[in-house]
Formats: sequence, C-alpha cells, structure tokens
Amino acid sequence: MKYGLFLGCNVPAVRPDVERAIRLTMPVLGADLVDLEGSACCPAFGSFPSADETASLAISAWNFCIAEEAEVDLVTECGSCYSSLRIARSKLLESEEKREQVNRLLEPTGKQFRGTVKVRHMLDVLFNDIGPEKIRESIKYPLENISAIVQYPCHTLFPSEIVGFDSLSGRPRMFQKLVEALGASVQTYSRELQCCGGAGGFVKGSFADASEFAFKKLRAIKKETDAEFIVASCITCLQHLDRMQDELNKKNNDNAYSLPVFDYNQILAVCMDFNPGEVASISTISRDEFIRNIRKK
Amino acid sequence: MIDLTKTNTGLWREITDNCGDIRKCFNCNTCVAGCPAAEGDPPLFIRNLVRKVLLGLEDELLEDETPWLCVTCSACEEMCPMGVHPFEVCLDIRRWQSKNDETYIPAATAEIFETGHTQAVGQVQEKRKAVGLEAVPPTIIKFPELLKIFQEMLRNTDIVRENDYMFRS
Ligand code: SF4
Ligand code: SF4
Repeated sequence: MKYGLFLGCNVPAVRPDVERAIRLTMPVLGADLVDLEGSACCPAFGSFPSADETASLAISAWNFCIAEEAEVDLVTECGSCYSSLRIARSKLLESEEKREQVNRLLEPTGKQFRGTVKVRHMLDVLFNDIGPEKIRESIKYPLENISAIVQYPCHTLFPSEIVGFDSLSGRPRMFQKLVEALGASVQTYSRELQCCGGAGGFVKGSFADASEFAFKKLRAIKKETDAEFIVASCITCLQHLDRMQDELNKKNNDNAYSLPVFDYNQILAVCMDFNPGEVASISTISRDEFIRNIRKK
Repeated sequence: MIDLTKTNTGLWREITDNCGDIRKCFNCNTCVAGCPAAEGDPPLFIRNLVRKVLLGLEDELLEDETPWLCVTCSACEEMCPMGVHPFEVCLDIRRWQSKNDETYIPAATAEIFETGHTQAVGQVQEKRKAVGLEAVPPTIIKFPELLKIFQEMLRNTDIVRENDYMFRS
C-alpha cells in the first residue's frame, strides 16, 4: 500500500510531532508514505474558498496533479484539508466548466487535472485498509484498563455524501474501534458528535462564545465519563481540546481539566515504543506522566 | 424601515453558485439548531442570511459579518431537509462580500500567494529538527522555483488580478 502524505500547513508547522508520528507508524503497518513534493495549502476554507472559487479550485488541482504524477492517493490527518480537498475534487469532477477553467489556469504550469487520484483521511486508511487487527498486533504497550473518549473529526462526517467513509456518518464507530485496538476502553457521552468548534472564524470572531462552546463539551466529558485521555485525528481538534482545557482552568482558577490529548498516530506511536520526545512532545496539557505510566507496564 | 420595493430582487441569482435552490428554504431552523456558530455573538443564523439574499437586502448583507464565524463543520449541510446546502450558502456569501468589498478578502489568501501556506512552515526549523524531521518539509516552501510557477498561475485569477496590490511574491 502506497499513499501520498498531504501535509497541509498546520501539521508541519505547529505540531510536527504529529507528522513524525505518522511517518513512523504508517510504514510499520504496511502503508508506505510518499512525499507530495511541492504541495501547497489545501486551500483552507477561510482563504481562497471564501474569496474566489476558481482560484481555490486551481490550488486544490495543483495539489491533485502532484499526487497524479506520483500515482498515489492523498492521505491527510487534518480534517479541514481532507474536507476542502474532497469538496474541491467533487466540484471538479461534476462540472466540466469548472474543470476547463482550472485546466486553463494550470496549463502554463505544465500540469493538468485528470481526476485520477482520491483523497483519504488517516482514519479511513487506518480502519478500512489496515484494520484494527493489524494495529493490535503491532503494539508493544497496550492501554489496558485505561479509558478514553474520541473526538470524531466533523470534516470526515459531513456532508456524508462527499466526505463520508464510516458506514453511518450519523453514528460513526470506526474511530472507537481503532482506539479499542490499542487496548483502551472508549466511553461515549452526550456531546460526543458535537464538533470541537476550533476551525474557521468562530474562535477569532467570537472568542468568549467559542470557548464556552468547547467548555460545554469538556464539562460533559468530565461529568458523564471517567475518561483519562482524549484521542483526536485532526490537527484542529487536537490543538483546540488541548488549549481549551487550559482556558477553562484559567477561568476557574484551578487545574481540574488536565486530560492529555493525542492524535491517533501519536498514541499509536507511543504504544509501538517510538520515542515520545519525537512523536508526542508538543502540547499545553502535559502528556508526560500519562506516557510514563503506559511505558511502565 | 426597509422598503421592499427598492431591494435587489435578482440578488439571489448573483450570489448563489454552489448552494442548492435557496427559494426552497422554509425557515425550519435545522441549520441553526446544530450550528456551533449560532452560539456566537452576534450569532450566525443561516436561515436569516437566506432571507436577506432572497429579499435582496444588499446593504444589510454586505455589512453582515456573521458568515465569517462559520467553523466549516458542515452539520447544516448534512441536515437541511430542502437541499439548500447552507454551508455553501455561507461560502457563496463570503465570496460575494469579498468581491464587493475588498476589506473582506481574507489575509490568508495573500499568505498562500506569498508562501504557499497559511502557516510559517519554513520558519520552524529547530522545532522540526527536535522531533527528528527534515528542517523544511517537502512542500512548496522547499522548492522556490515551484512557488514561482504557483504564483504565476494565481496571477491569472480574478482575485489576484483585481487586487494585485495585496499579493506580493
Ligand atoms: S435547514 Fe435548510 S430549509 Fe431549514 S432553515 Fe436552514 S436552509 Fe432553510
Ligand atoms: S458549517 Fe458553518 S453554518 Fe453550517 S453548522 Fe457548521 S458552523 Fe454552522
């Protein structure tokens, strides 16, 4: 199995430890990652898609062309990249007019969009191509007697027609099964499928309300579960749930919220015995003690 | 009071491109009920935006910054019973606003033009090396000659042509 690793902007710049974890864990599971040399921003919804549709599609097509030349499907961890690229691809495939406009823009670059490669999310590849069984066999430190909650990336659920890969986007279970494959138990709670609220302009445009939106989720986790950590598979969920616990602690003037937040490939990498200093070293809420406990077993 | 005889009744044709037929919207509120940004202040109510578009309230719509609160979760897109595609309505309105008032054009477009990215991907070399990665990732930031071609491509788009002072290489 070979995939083109689409990095986007946030993973390589803000949380490179996630990139490291992906690059180390996927080959162990038989998924070889090829670099998409010269790839750019997806582009993010708040950039070109909010200003000029054709320019936006041209940038997505630029990225697709690089994967087409390498003859690999793109795989990405970032929910926004995934959704932006999926939606762009479906627009380009649906409309001959848009395809022609974009190819006219691409022509001087020597590229041409053909639509021969797909866009996959990391969870999709992990579950549907690799499978929980293989993951279970690959780990050295199982997460026995540890309970988790999972944060489903909204961009992989809706609109299900375009981005979906779980059997039921309204009641997804794949992510839970992937975390269970690491030995942990996964608890559900009332606001499980509520998005993290960290993407787009909500946080910037209405900080207090956006924070309150995340606090509701965090309070529900605390009240309804005894989860010891959170697993995400989207750079925004990862950063936001980490940062918002800190904000909530500041507001309450205590330290009540201290759940370590991991990207799936990060916790997988720790369970596989890769160096935590490389695969899970950047966070606001400390993950060190949690990691030490896993490795003690 | 708004004089409805003086509004732009053709506005919806001008704005809608990727969304569904917004005339089918019956104000059911589904797009608001599940929307994180509907909890903002002021709140994002897609159904109200749809009304503004349909009634042709150009001035009100141009001043309305709520479309920019959207977190892009697409819950509304999934749930709207009338196939209006509320999230696409949101993006269609943003594009119309950007076209009619350049101050709406997101700074991130210029960043992408300049570096190919929305983050300082090329300026976190120590941070990347510390986790065992190449100092500069193999994206467009590593290949200046490709970035030049990328910029040439974007120079032929409407947004860059019409606002060239914003886009510097
Ligand atoms: S969910 Fe659809 S039909 Fe209902 S108010 Fe929103 S846009 Fe209109
Ligand atoms: S996509 Fe935007 S408008 Fe739709 S529910 Fe999510 S935040 Fe609200």
